[in-house]
Order: sequence, then structure tokens, then C-alpha cells
Amino acid sequence: MAQAPDKSLGDKLQSLNKTTLFAILFAVTSIPLFFPGMKVPNKPEESTIDLYATLMQLPENSTVLVASDWTDSTRGESGGQFEALFRIMMRRHLKAAIYTTADPQAPQVARDNIASLNEERVAAGQKPYERWNDYVVLGFFPNAEGTAVSIGTNVATAFKGRKDIAPNGISTDVYQSPVLKDIKSTKDLKLVVVLTASSTSTVTIERLSGKVPLAMLVTGVMGPETQVYYSSGQLLGLSKGLKGVYDLETMMEDGVKDYKGAPIPGFPNEKNLGRGSVYYPTLHFALALLIIAVIVGNVGMAMSRRKGQ
Amino acid sequence: MDFLAQALPDNFWRHQNGSSTLWLWTFIGLVVGIALIFGLMNMPSQMRRPVVVGVTFLSGLFYVLLYFWPAPVARDPGTLPTDLVDKVGFWIEDAVPSVAQFSNILTAFLLGLGIYSVLRIHSRKLIKQQQDWAFSAVLLVCMVLMVIFGYWNWANRISPTGPLLDLQSNWKFQNYAADLLFDGLFQQMNGAMFSIIAFYILSAAYRAFRVRSIEATILLAAALIMMLSLMGSVASFWDGAAGHVSENLTLTSISTWLRDNLQTSSLRSIDFGIGIGALAMGLRLWLSLEKTGAGS
Repeated sequence: MAQAPDKSLGDKLQSLNKTTLFAILFAVTSIPLFFPGMKVPNKPEESTIDLYATLMQLPENSTVLVASDWTDSTRGESGGQFEALFRIMMRRHLKAAIYTTADPQAPQVARDNIASLNEERVAAGQKPYERWNDYVVLGFFPNAEGTAVSIGTNVATAFKGRKDIAPNGISTDVYQSPVLKDIKSTKDLKLVVVLTASSTSTVTIERLSGKVPLAMLVTGVMGPETQVYYSSGQLLGLSKGLKGVYDLETMMEDGVKDYKGAPIPGFPNEKNLGRGSVYYPTLHFALALLIIAVIVGNVGMAMSRRKGQ
Repeated sequence: MDFLAQALPDNFWRHQNGSSTLWLWTFIGLVVGIALIFGLMNMPSQMRRPVVVGVTFLSGLFYVLLYFWPAPVARDPGTLPTDLVDKVGFWIEDAVPSVAQFSNILTAFLLGLGIYSVLRIHSRKLIKQQQDWAFSAVLLVCMVLMVIFGYWNWANRISPTGPLLDLQSNWKFQNYAADLLFDGLFQQMNGAMFSIIAFYILSAAYRAFRVRSIEATILLAAALIMMLSLMGSVASFWDGAAGHVSENLTLTSISTWLRDNLQTSSLRSIDFGIGIGALAMGLRLWLSLEKTGAGS
């Protein structure tokens, strides 16, 4: 029986088996687990700086309509974005009306995340972000298109019939809450933020663009398609994926030195670093490995070709 | 028109939360809705088609009118319409929230249909002990458990004492059970499934990203620049070094240029094509020119 010729180095480099690659990825992405608190240098993207500046420049006690269109499947990115967004909103005393058109589970996921942020605030001796007074959860609206049209036409009637629990324990019309009582028309909304892992971003852009100020926080995969709307000026700010979360956390920690000629402060001496700072080193190492793997494969291919010639 | 005015305290379309009238109408609505669906399903196709075509046209017509009919400008709550055009404009604007509610309720029925379909398919598989019936049993048990504890937990949270449940110390058995099922099991399994993607992306990128042609080289170079720009340490180092020579040579500038000029324009052209396609398909569906699905 003829023996197979030994593989050259080039052939070996371009045909690493799956198990080896998987083992290396597992090892590399585990590195940050052994160095908790590892801080990777960062340069925030322009779109995320715009988002941060927009949130920081809203007048205190303004009402922001938040579409929380994510659940557990994208919690690595969306969960971090939600935490960063609400940390900023809580500290800036912005009020939130939260709704979803993506998933029936999303309202409870939002409530749970606010509850854990509140635990953090209480532990730090700060006032919790109160349901009804600071935020209301409007619930799930299965028809994204119809709901977006309704918000764009008149937000003062779009959520009629929805109730949340007032401090007296009675389920009360959300329009009587401090969050929505001054919202008489769509123009009264200072900002609509869409935090999404699905196509609700496109649905919102198509129906609300030009009617309300819009900003978005989307997953990394959705970044390129949503970037189009940021470039065209339809979005005031945009955070994309885990890098976007890390950008927001970096700015919350250090502020922005120069934004159109003026500095924007951060929140020194507060807990700013969250999931973005924890997960970003892992992404960093995974990307480095991906690049190295691609280079190794190409070097192997070049070596094999040269040998063949 | 009162029947569209959901803002009024009590009317045909709106009753006090938790009142017996509300529960009665909810029950009647559910029964009528289910009866309508089954009625449509069992209707002879020659009768079903005109019904579906008519309802589709009227539903679509509302949103077409909303976009094209002159909308009231700077309308205050007390403003009265001056002419017929104004009257129709006011009527359309007032109807939007109610139509949105109708569309939300109709879409919610799809969830019910989905549950019915899952139950029917997997129950049959289980009863007849067809191949892989054990998986169907697991699915049905999980679904029933999630529905029971999910609703129990939800009912607690919308009750007057609901806000107290934001603190874990106030939880009861049902809240712990819902948390275990959703956060403890479902969420972790979902996370595990998604993390597997990283392994396949690495394997696929290693094998597919090869410099075999000019096009592949351009794609590879662009991908490498974009990936490097996402790595904060590389971007900081590169920008620091190249920034002294020219601002245009920084990694941030190069990746921004790629994104704004190549990526965005390509995606816009794709979006434009999709938009035209969706417009044509929307028109065909609205006018029931699409033969499949319109009750045929």
C-alpha cells in the first residue's frame, strides 16, 4: 500500500483541522477570565460619540421613548447597551417610556435590567429609578408597522388603554404618569431611542424618520445596514455592537474632551464600566485570532504555490 | 366619532380594567375571533376569496389614504374641521390608534395560531409515537411549564404589589420558578447556542478568506481594515503612529472612508432595490393580484 507523501509546511498551514482551531479559540477567548479588570485602550467611534452627546445634552426630566426590542439571545451586546443607556438616563434624570414591537418577553427583560441597575444605585446610596415616576413600561405591540405609524401620527393617543402600576398600587392609565403626562403631541418627545436586535430599526426609520429625533443602539451584525441611516443624518447617534457599548462606557468614565468645540463631562467616581468592559477584551482577542488565522492560511497557500512552481 | 375615541373614560371600545364588563367583552371577542378564523378556514374557496380580497383592500386603503390624504396641520385638541377634506383628514388621524390596536390584536392572533400549530403537530407525533417522539414530549412539557409559570409570574407582576417583586427578597415560588426557567435555563442555553457561531465563523474565515483573485484580495483587505479598526489597542497605536505623518493615514480615517464611501453606498443601492421590490409586492398584495394567499 502506497504511503501518502508528507505534507509540506505550506499545506499544513492552510489545512489546520477544525478541532485545533476550536481549541485555540477556546483558549484565546478564555484569557480575559484570568485577568479581570483588564482595560483595553479605546477610541470611541464618531457615531457613538454623537449618541452620548445627544443623551448628555437633553434637558433634565425630558421624556425619552425607548423601544427595547431585545431579549436574551443578544444580551451580550444589547444587554450592555441597555445598561449603559439607562445608567446615563438615570443620572441625567431623564424619564423613559419603554415599549417593544419585537418580542413579548422584552418588557420583562427591560424591567429585570432596570431592577438590577436599581440595586446598584441603592447600594451606592442613590435614589432608585422609580417605576411610574421615572419610567413606565407600555408593553408589547405585535404589529411594529402599525404602532410606529401611530406614534408618528400622535403619540398622545398611540398608547391609549395601556396601564402601569401607580405608587398607590392601582393600575392606572400611563398618560397620567409623570413620564407621559406632558406629552401632548409627537413633537413633545425629545428623543426616540431604538435598542434593537431585529428589523424594528428599519420599520421605525421608515415611519418615524423626520417626525421625531431618533437614535439607535443595534447589534454588531446590524451595524453596517444601520450606518446608512446615520450617514444620511436620519439618526442623531448610533451605537453598534459590543464596541459601541465599550465606547459608551469609556465616555461615561472619561467624558469627551472636545465635541464641536466644547467638552462633554463623564460620570467620574461612579460605576460606569459594565458588560462592555468585561466582554470587549474577549472580542479583542477573538478578532486578533481571526486575523492571524486568515494570515496563516494565506501564507500557507503562498508557500504551497511557490513550491508548486 | 365615539367608537374611535379610546381616550374617553368608558365607551363601547373601552371599559374599566378588571371590570366584569371588560372580561365579558374580552371573552366574547375571543370567541368571535376564533369563530371567524375557523369560519374562514372552512368556507368554500369561491366565497372566501371575495371576503379576503375585500378586507385586504380596505385595510390597505386606510394606510394609503393616511399617506396621501392632506393631513391636518398644527391641529389642537379643540380644532374643528373646516371642509370635507379637513373632515376626512381628521377622521383618518383619529382612527390611526384604533386601527393600530386592531392590527396589534390581529397580529397577536398569529401567536395563538403558532401555539395551536405546535400543539397539533407535536401532540399527534407523541400520541402516534412517531420517530423522535421523545423530543416532541420534551418540547410540549417545556412549553406548558413556561406558559404556566410565565403567566403566573406575569399576573403577580401586574398586580398592585407587582413593583415589590423588583426586589428578589419578595419573590415567591412561582417567581423563582419563572426565573429558573427563563434566566436559569432558557437564557443560558440560548447563549450557548449563539456562542457556537464564533467557532464556525473562525473556521469559515480561515478557509474562505484566501487571496485567490483580485476581487478576493480587495474583499480581504477591506475586511482586515474593518476588523483592525474594531480593535481598540491596534487603532490607538496605528492612529498615534500614522497621525504624525497624515491624518488621512490613520486607521480611523481609512475605516471611516471605507464605511462612508464604499459600504454605505453599496448598502443604499441594495436597500433601494429592495424598496422597489417591496413596493411592487405591496401593491400586488393590496390589489390581490398575487394569486397565492388571497383565499385561493
